[in-house]
Formats: sequence, C-alpha cells, structure tokens
Amino acid sequence: MTGAIRSIGRRKTARRGGGRRNDRQGGAVELWMRSHVALVYLFLYFPIVIVVLFSFNATDRQVTDWQGFSLKWYGRVLGDRQVQNALFNSLFVASITAIISTIVGTTAALGLQRAPRWFRGPFSALTYTSIIVPEIVIALATLVFFSTAFDFASPILGFRLKTGFATIIAAHCLFNISLVILLVQARLNGMDRTHVEASYDLYGSPWRTFWQITFPQLLPAIVAGFLLSFTFSFDDYVITTFVSGAGTTTLPLYVFGQIRKGVTPATNAVAAVMLLITLSTLIIGQFLVSRNAKRKGQSGSMTSMVVEQR
Amino acid sequence: MATIAEGAARTRSGQRSRSLRQGALTGLLLLPAGLWYVILLVVPLGIVVIFSLGKTAARGGYAPGLTLDNYAAAAAEPGPFVTSLWLAIAGTILCLLLALPLAYFVATRGGSRKALFIVLLVIPFWTSFLIRTYAWLTILGPDGLAGFIGDAIGDPAFRILGTPVAVLIGVVYGYLPLMIFPIYVTIERMDRTLVEASKDLGAGRWATFRQITLPIALPGLITGSILVFIPLMGEYVIPAILGYGRVFLIGNLLVLQFLEARDWPVGSAYAVMLIMIMLVSISFYLWFTSRGRKSRDVSVL
Amino acid sequence: MTDQELGDYLRRISGTKVNRRGFLAAGGLAASAAALAACGNGAASVAPTSAPTAAPGTVAPSTAAATPTPAPTSVGKDLFMYNWSDYVAKDNIAAFQAAFGVDNFTYDTFASNDELLTKLQGGATGQWDVSAPTAEFVPAMRDQNFIQKLDLTRIPNAKYIDPAFKGLWWDPTNEWQLPKDWGTTGIAVRTKIVKEPVTTWKEFLDIAPKYSGRIVIVDSPGDVFVAPLKARGHSLNSTDPAELEQARQDLLALAPHVLALDSDQYAKKLETEEAVLGLVWTGNVLPLRDKPKTADIVYNIPTDGTLFWLDTWVILAGAPHLDAAYAFLNFIHDPEVQAKETDFNNYATPNDEAKKYVDPKILNDPAIFVPDDVVAKLEGAKDLSRDPTRIAIWKEFKSKIGS
Repeated sequence: MTGAIRSIGRRKTARRGGGRRNDRQGGAVELWMRSHVALVYLFLYFPIVIVVLFSFNATDRQVTDWQGFSLKWYGRVLGDRQVQNALFNSLFVASITAIISTIVGTTAALGLQRAPRWFRGPFSALTYTSIIVPEIVIALATLVFFSTAFDFASPILGFRLKTGFATIIAAHCLFNISLVILLVQARLNGMDRTHVEASYDLYGSPWRTFWQITFPQLLPAIVAGFLLSFTFSFDDYVITTFVSGAGTTTLPLYVFGQIRKGVTPATNAVAAVMLLITLSTLIIGQFLVSRNAKRKGQSGSMTSMVVEQR
Repeated sequence: MATIAEGAARTRSGQRSRSLRQGALTGLLLLPAGLWYVILLVVPLGIVVIFSLGKTAARGGYAPGLTLDNYAAAAAEPGPFVTSLWLAIAGTILCLLLALPLAYFVATRGGSRKALFIVLLVIPFWTSFLIRTYAWLTILGPDGLAGFIGDAIGDPAFRILGTPVAVLIGVVYGYLPLMIFPIYVTIERMDRTLVEASKDLGAGRWATFRQITLPIALPGLITGSILVFIPLMGEYVIPAILGYGRVFLIGNLLVLQFLEARDWPVGSAYAVMLIMIMLVSISFYLWFTSRGRKSRDVSVL
Repeated sequence: MTDQELGDYLRRISGTKVNRRGFLAAGGLAASAAALAACGNGAASVAPTSAPTAAPGTVAPSTAAATPTPAPTSVGKDLFMYNWSDYVAKDNIAAFQAAFGVDNFTYDTFASNDELLTKLQGGATGQWDVSAPTAEFVPAMRDQNFIQKLDLTRIPNAKYIDPAFKGLWWDPTNEWQLPKDWGTTGIAVRTKIVKEPVTTWKEFLDIAPKYSGRIVIVDSPGDVFVAPLKARGHSLNSTDPAELEQARQDLLALAPHVLALDSDQYAKKLETEEAVLGLVWTGNVLPLRDKPKTADIVYNIPTDGTLFWLDTWVILAGAPHLDAAYAFLNFIHDPEVQAKETDFNNYATPNDEAKKYVDPKILNDPAIFVPDDVVAKLEGAKDLSRDPTRIAIWKEFKSKIGS
C-alpha cells in the first residue's frame, strides 16, 4: 500500500519535474516553430515583393538593372494590346471552364450517389486516372487526339476544324470536372442524412429537397470547386501550349514568351496588376460572405468554407 | 379483393416506372461527365497506346504498325525516369518538412487569426506560377544571390541557376501550399483534449507528438504527399526555366520527342510507361501507408 | 528585257557577286538558273541605281522611288504572325499597323523549325497568315501543303531582293518564299575571360572542358552539328555513319560542359558572364560590343568552315487574312523598312536597295555583311531534320547537357 502511495507521489513529482523540463524545452520548441513559420512566409512572399518592386523600375530594357522609380511600365502594359488580349483570353477560358466543370462535376457527384455499385468503381477509376496521369501526357494525348480527329472529321463536315478556345476549354475541363467530383463527393459522404429524410417525411418533392436541403449543404464544396477550377485553368501552361491555336494566347503563354524573350518590367507590371485584381476579389468576396453569414449567424470566413469543410 | 390486386399491380407498375425514371435521372446526371471522360480521356489515351505500338513516319508523326520496339527503346533509356523519380521524392520530402511545422502551428496556435494565416498562404498561389518562377530567375541569377555569393567567395563563375538546387527551390516554392492545406485541415480537426490527456499522463512533447498528433495527422500527410508527388513526376517547366534544361526529366523528354524529334510512337511509349509508373507508385504508396490501418479519411483536398 | 537592262545585268554578274552566287547554287544550277530567273523577272531585278539611264517606257514600278506602294483600299484588321521571338522590329510592326489599319497584329512565337512543323502537322493550318521558317525547311512545308504559292505581282518590293538569293535549291521558281535575312553560325567569345584564341570549331571543342558550365549553345540541331563535323573537316550536311559517329562522340564529350541550350537568351547569358563561350548566330551578340562592360566580346566566323543560313518569309496555306499578309510582305521589303530591320536584328538583309539606308557601322561590319571571300567558304544547310541517326544523336546530346 505504502508502495503504491509512494509511487503516486513519485509520479506527481515526475510530472512536476517533467513539466518544468518541458517548459524549458517547450520554450525552445516554440521559438523554433515560430521562426520556422516566419521564415516560410518570408520565403513565400519574397519573390512576390521582388516582382512588384521591380515593376517600378525605370529601366528601359533589363529588368534587373535598377534605374529609379517609374510608373511608365504600368502605362505601357495597360495600353499593350497583346497583354490585354492575353488577360482577357485567360479570364474568358477560366470562367467558362469553371462554370462547366462545376455544373458537370456536381451533377456527376450526385449521380454517382444514386448509381449502382458496379458502375461506381470504373467511373471513380476514371476520375482518379484523370488526376494521376501527368499533365504533360494528357496534353500530348489531347493534341494527338485533336489532330487525328480533325483529320477525320474535317472532310466529312466540310469545313476545317481547328484548335482554339473550344479545345482549350474542353481540355481544361477534364481535370477540373474530376476535381469537383471529388470535392462534392467528399462533402456528400459527410453530410447529415436526417434532414433529407425529414424532408421526404414531410412530403417534399425530390426537386425541392435538393434545392432546400442538399444544395445549401453542398455549397461550400461547390464554391471551392469553382474557385479551384478557375485558378487551375487561369494558371495552366502545359495543356494550353499544346492545344492552343492562333490568337488564343493566354496569360501564362504570354509570360512564358516574355521569359524566353527577356523579361522587361512590363511583365512585372502585369503580375502586380493580377495580384491587385485577385486581392481585391478576395477582399470583396470575404466582405460579401461575412455580411451574408452574419445575417444567417454562421462563421463569416470564406476560407473556412473552402478549407475546413466540416 | 380485385381492388387490392389492382392496387398492388398499379403500385408495382408505378414502382417500375418510378425506378425507370430514377435510372434515367441518374444516367442524365452522369452523362456529361461520362462523355468528357470517354472523349477526352479514354480515347486520347487509347490513341497514345495505339501510337506506342506504331512506327515513326518519315515526315514525323505516326505510321501504322504493330511493334514493341518503342517500348524496348524506352526501357533502354531509363535516365529521365530515374531523375524525375528522384526529383519528385526529394521535392515531396522537402515540402513535407517545411509544411508540417507550419500547418501544426497555424492549426494549434493560430487562434482567431487562423483564417488570416491561410489566406496569406493562398495569395501567392493566386499569382501565375510562371511569374513566380521567373522571379526566382532574378533572385538566383548573376544579378542576385549568385552574384552576391560569388563576390563573397571570390568565384566569378559561381552559379545557382542551372543546378538541382535551383530546381528544388523552384519546385518547393510552387508546390508548398498543396502540402500545407491537407495537413492543416487534418490537424485542425484533431481533438485537442487528446493532447492534453497525453500531457497529463506525463508524456513528453516529442512522445505526444509522435504518438498522438502524428497518427492523426497522417491522412493529411498522405494526401499532401500525393498532391505534391503526382504533378512533380510530370513537371518539366520549372526545371527548364530554373535548371536551364540541365536537369533532364521525363517531361522534357516527352516534349523533345513530340515537338522536336517528332517521334510520336516512341514518345507515346514513354508516356504509357510514365502512366504505369505513376499508377504503380501511387498504389504502392497507398497500400504501404494504410497497412494495418482502417482509414476512411483519405479524402482528397 | 531591254538591251540596256541586259547590259546592266551582265555588268553586275561579272562583278564581285560571282563567289557568293557560285556557292549558293549548291545544286549546281548556278549561273544558268540564276540567269534564267533574272531574265524572267528581268525588269524587277534591275536596281533603280540605273534608273536615270533606263528608258521611260520600261517597267514603271522599278523606276519609282523607294517608297511603299500605295496601300490597297482595305486589308482587314487582323494579321496573325507565327515567328521566332523578337524577330521583327517593334517600330516596323507599329508602322505597318498605322499604315494599313491593322489593329490586331498577333505575334505568336515558336522556338525552332521543328516546333513550327509540329504545330502545323498537329492541325494548326489555317490559323496563321505569315511565318518565317529557315530556308531548308521550305521544301518540306511545301510538300506537306503548309504554305501557299506567292503571287509576286502583289509584292512589288520583292524586286529589290538580291538575285543571288533567287532560284536556289529550296525554291527554284521563287514562288514559295521571300528571303528575310541571312547570317552565319559562329563562335562568340568573352575575350576578357577567355584568353586563348577560339577561331575554329576544333579550338572551340578542345577548350570546352576548361570553361565547363560556361558555354551556351543555340537550341538547334542543324547548327550544333556544324561544330563537330567541321572540326574534323567533314561537310556539315554529312549523313555518313562513320562521320556522324565521330560527331556523336564529340558532342557527348561536349555535353557535360554546356551551360544551356538557349536560342533566345544566349546574348544575355554572355552579357552577364554566366557564359563565356557560345555557339551562336550572328546578330544578338554584336550590339554587346558597344556596351562598355561587354566590349570585349567578339564573334568569330570559324575558319574551318561554318553554316550560312537564310530565313524566309512564307504565307501559310489557308491564311485567313491574305490581303494583310501580302501587304505585310510588301511592306517589310520596302528598303527603308528593311534597313530598320537590319539595324534592329543585326542580321544581314537580302534586300539590295535597303543597304543604302542601313547604319554604315552595321553595313561595314564583316561579321554581319560577310565579305564574299569568306562567304565562299561557307556551306548552306540541307534539311536533314528527319535523318534518324542525327535525331538519335541530338536526343542523346540534349539529355546529357550538364550531367
């Protein structure tokens, strides 16, 4: 008995001693963690700061040749037809892709739920395949497909099919549809069924049940899918290079051309402008979401919708 | 009695037509995605497989044939595969090491400012990756860090660009957020009381981390690793820009075959082999990490 | 063809042009083909310098002063060009747009002739109007129906083109392309750092290990094969297996020492001293001589022989904006416009009349406007891009860079 009491005492002491030891260790670990985090954020933002900084470079050619402050490159960029075209093309392609992918992906996820088991397996396999196969392979396969298909179809249809916006959008959608399917599926699986059942018990039609019960719960996943599809499509370089045609230069293609040619502060200005646009979209979006959420009494963070998905 | 039988028959036929409608609805829901997969995934990959068995036309491109020569040629030159594998593994590990402490910190110590931390991670991700990559051209170039270090050590030929170091920096920079998010999500959902209980039971910091936090965070680590490893295997743009093409990867090889040498059959064989390698390594990775664990939570993203 | 013009013509061909013409007509059609072609376009090839003596009745356009022919009423608002990067002077593009009201001048780029061909083979015909392949690729493009015949009546300024560039093996009838500019492939040296003489390909290859990691090479198989083949005294168009095997060994020995294969930024790399030696084209490195920090750079035309290349303008098949395409081709060969191109590109112009307006410093630069005696030793390229041995060697070389 005394042995047991003594051992309890020892444990307490151990905890106390351990606690103090942990605090000293803890302090060091905390310090290390904090500095690690700070360094990583620094690492992430340093290039962005450099890009924005050098967009104000008054030099005439070489972007690294600092010649003083100037806004002239912004002027040139905003008046540059090529840049405007590239930006517009990117926004256009990304928007259409995001819309199509979100709709098709969501409906597919819903359909998958209802589909028999023997169908779900192969379909999911295709979904994962489109994500696992490296982008370069998809790009090449798509190029090969379009060129072969066009060779066959053009004589039949009478006019020459060619690569362009439609082909780029179609190619982008493949990956993004799978993305949306996975996101919405994950959300569906974790969803609370009782509300749906209650709705049926109350004689709600399937259509109404969907819109008033299921859809609002799916919304975070759908929004996340839309945003991610837009981002991936906007930023895509590999697939776009292979399946683009004349006059469909998107922003990444333009930037790559600039890198090959020799970067002037014009490219930096473009990047800074894009940063400004995305930042303002984010801030406006956040403002709208939090205002909407306050009305409904929910958490007002856009990113919590996207990231946490509870 | 007749009414009951009639009633039953009506219900049965009603049920049949309802299930037909249900089936039609399901089919309709799945049709667009299905079409996309067939037309833009199955058919193109099928064409690639067919091409891989063909011969190179004199003018470049595909000529019909049935031969395994292309695969033999591809197997005889495994260099780019090995380099890609090495880069993907190294990049994934580096991302893991950088991401874990950060994700842990934000998830457990972030408090009310968690969202802000996450948004700050997202913003760089929303600028074009090409622009961010070329920023590294400036930073690591002769007018930047390389010049600075070169002057400091007195070696005018000191160079960072064109070395594997530059490629790794560029790659980690581009893929880090993809690793951070899944880990963050998993740790954030963790029940904090488990950690407290562990501490109450006298476990040290490291033991707590190893036995409580890490196993719970594991699904996130796996997801993050897959999200980084997969695209990294096919990556070639960042190595081309920051590595001056000196780090020769499978992606570079495919571009060389398809765009320059116009050897489509040989290129297709390489592509098929790459897909096989991806499928095998992903399956192996998933099997390895779920040994003895019942994991439902490998939800993507 | 009047007696006057024939006399002028004979006077010209008996002059210094003989050497260049002789070497260019590699197919051996030489004087006869050139004479026939010149006779056929007789009026067009007579330079306006003889204008005062030409009878008023002779062909009017050639006696007109060197001004752009009057613009057609409308050429549309678009021109889609598919070209090497940075290959047309921005000022000229702007001037063209202003003169013809082409608001939308789309300039897409490729990095190699192979990329151009691949894009066209992959179904991109009918998308672009004008392109600029290297001369030896013109037959392949013609055979695969990627380009269309030129209606020279719509390009009056073509008459200013030096007849030495006409009737050559890649386009004997001069119907498929228009010469754009020409130059050589040579060795660039930062003499501040490289003290040894590097005036032959042999010296270039031998000295490579010493400057390992500081050598930049253009990303073009046709140019890269020149070094090992010429260093051993073979033809740069060789397809002989033994000679190619030697070239392969030399290239594989060179590969680890190469900094990068870069067709776009080699001048920049030489400027920053990331590279001190280069297998490059004339043009981009020469302006560096005028900058104080890089004044030590030299461009050597290797004495063991090298490549003479010509880039050409073509109109692609199915060009959607044909009027604009012709307007552009005619515009670009306006002598003053051509001169601005040369000043911008530092590549020699094939347009005789333009030479009057070219910056004298460039005109007298033997690296750009190569003297005839040197030209005689240069070799033109054949299209060997489909030779399997060469392709295999190129792939191997490219994959071993820097390893």
